[in-house]
Amino acid sequence: MDFNYTDEERKFRFELRDWLASALPAGWGDTVFEPEDEEERYLFRRDWDKKLSSGGWSGINWPVEYGGRGATLVERGIFAEEMARAKAPESLNIIGHNLAGTTILHHGTQAQKDRFLPPIIANDEIWCQGFSEPNAGSDLASVRTKAVRHGDKYIVNGQKIWTSYAQYSQWCFALVRTDVDAPKHKGLSFLLIDMKSPGILIRPLRQISGESEFNETFFEDVEVPVENLVGEENDGWRIAMTTLAYERGPEDCLGRQVRFKQEMEKLLEVCSAEPTANGVLSDDPIVRQKLGRSIVEIEAMRLVALKSFSRIHAGDERGPDASVIKLYWSHAAQRMNEAALDILGPTAVLAEGDEDAKASGRFQTSYLQSKAFSIYSGSSEIQRNIIGERMLGLPR
Amino acid sequence: MNFLFNEEQTSLGETVGQVLADFAALTAPDPSRDSEAEVWGALAELGLFSLLVPEEHDGVGLAFVDLAPSIEALGSGLASPLIASTLVATEAIKRLGSSDQRAKLLPEIAIGETAIAIASAELGRGKDPFFAECRLLDGKLSGKKIAVAGADVAQELLVIARTESAPVLVLVPTDAAGVTITAHSDIDPSAGLCRVVFDNVAVAAGQQLARASIDALDTLVDLGATVHSGMAMGIAEVMLRRSVAFASQREQFGKPIGSFQAIKHRCADLAVAVEAGKATSHYAFWACSENSEDRSGAASAAKAYCGEIGCNACNDAIQVHGGMGFTWELGLHRYLRRAQVIEHAVGSRAWHYDRVVTEALAAREVENAAHRDAA
Repeated sequence: MDFNYTDEERKFRFELRDWLASALPAGWGDTVFEPEDEEERYLFRRDWDKKLSSGGWSGINWPVEYGGRGATLVERGIFAEEMARAKAPESLNIIGHNLAGTTILHHGTQAQKDRFLPPIIANDEIWCQGFSEPNAGSDLASVRTKAVRHGDKYIVNGQKIWTSYAQYSQWCFALVRTDVDAPKHKGLSFLLIDMKSPGILIRPLRQISGESEFNETFFEDVEVPVENLVGEENDGWRIAMTTLAYERGPEDCLGRQVRFKQEMEKLLEVCSAEPTANGVLSDDPIVRQKLGRSIVEIEAMRLVALKSFSRIHAGDERGPDASVIKLYWSHAAQRMNEAALDILGPTAVLAEGDEDAKASGRFQTSYLQSKAFSIYSGSSEIQRNIIGERMLGLPR
Repeated sequence: MNFLFNEEQTSLGETVGQVLADFAALTAPDPSRDSEAEVWGALAELGLFSLLVPEEHDGVGLAFVDLAPSIEALGSGLASPLIASTLVATEAIKRLGSSDQRAKLLPEIAIGETAIAIASAELGRGKDPFFAECRLLDGKLSGKKIAVAGADVAQELLVIARTESAPVLVLVPTDAAGVTITAHSDIDPSAGLCRVVFDNVAVAAGQQLARASIDALDTLVDLGATVHSGMAMGIAEVMLRRSVAFASQREQFGKPIGSFQAIKHRCADLAVAVEAGKATSHYAFWACSENSEDRSGAASAAKAYCGEIGCNACNDAIQVHGGMGFTWELGLHRYLRRAQVIEHAVGSRAWHYDRVVTEALAAREVENAAHRDAA
């Protein structure tokens, strides 16, 4: 066990730190923030993603041949820390990088890799995920969206739901049923679908926070060339498991931890400035207990991810420990968001747009958003089943 | 960077676990100290006490982090807390002792001849492990300590005391004139918790560890907190293993109870807590080993969080075992009792969470100052 950094790694850190300082607008995080309007924020993040890729900081862990840096796990950890330190904006193309890209890297043909990976790393093409359906939530393998092969095309009909960023995406990877007679896990295929295809209808869904990041996506006789099938026909469940291992894995956790750490820092800032009858909020012993526990959990999130990285680095297969990570960060983050509101007292109910709201109401927005954490990417109940059965070996 | 233990560190832990497993009395339903001396001898023979001692003092010269899996094994095996406190004291003497103290004590410790109990807790100041009413004035130590694990069998006491102006760490032989040691009636009779009264005990200048400084106390508390976090995780791991084993074979409604989500999910949550707790504990071991800037924050994070996880793990295991869980004969109560001893040693959870905030706010100040300088 060794957390020391080599000279090379330190060099990497300072190179990134310098680049971030020059790439972010002056006063970023202090006086300059992301646009509040959703559409403007989308454009802002799109620009930021472009900046990242032109600076060579996009998809750093990907192989050099596809435009990455082949970054080591240590460098990924440093990357996450420096992004947190700089309060860097969130990437819009997380699904492209983390899910579509890694799945194609694992299971794609050479032609698919050549076609799809460069635009992901360049952030020219944004991706969304077509897994969940109205009747296939926790029971994902019961998807009904059908793909029927006609010559060199699949004809896709059906509906996906909770499709985050569908409105901004050029591509969608989808789990579709190609054999209705086979057992449910055996009749699925993994398709890459051009979102410009005729027959796709996107209807925004309004979330608990009032935002509309996710959507319903309808497919009516949508044509998909057979070369956009990943892996074999009817082998889609196995491919999707790779996608899920990354969706729930340490890369995802580390990236999110960056955001949660920023939130924690903001909360500490508010607590050390907000007056009370005998000092400031951060002097209050009850507040300190809540802060202390959340500080520990946000840090544990980073450590749990790094530990998993180390195991993968040492040659372990990705397995149910991805579910451990997902289950941990989602509830730890929710606890922090609960604690934040609890600590804020009467201003807990003042949200974005109110002149008396703390930190421009970000804790209130995060609190509402955090309710999704324990549901998407497989609900906590599903993760607990996976951990119980596949990791602990408990009977089904 | 690598966040895994190497083979040597892991197999050391396994060996300690195997040695302890030979002594059934350690985890038997009836708490006893019957095998304590034998266990000590077996671990001394294994060389456990020489591991942290530098080679120049006849030891192996391993780093603190190398012992992390072994400490977890001490927790899992319900070994006497005196073993862990001796290891903490070894590291403290190594770091804070004068060359004379090191030369005298470390070789004795290495061969298992000197057991050291750490006397910190006192009545009247709640949770703060730094606080000491025990006074060292004009070379005489007076005062009272409670919950000193293994004081009645140890050779030396490492005492947190204070002079008129500053905190101080002193080494006092247990047989010194004016030292009275009595066993407590306590929640875990196997832990050997004692009340220690000092009545004008003569303390020579050479018995003072390091210069009187708050840094020395921080060091002792960080080492102790980290070791206790490791023992708590050892307990949590046994509780997880036993819960899963029981839930897999115990049948109700015609099925193993582990097939019911109410039980399965409880076990899954426990597994997640074990993973998160171990990550914080292992990091604290490394931070102590390296004296990293965030050492105190990491140690307090580990103590608070793992203490909590250790106690909760016992609660979960008892619940999963149902009616058997709260019988004497199953012996789960032994872990529950020990988890409480660990939780309240070297400062409780509340004190350590508080210290985490102090450390985080201080780190923010440093970061802000650097930010201002850069601007």
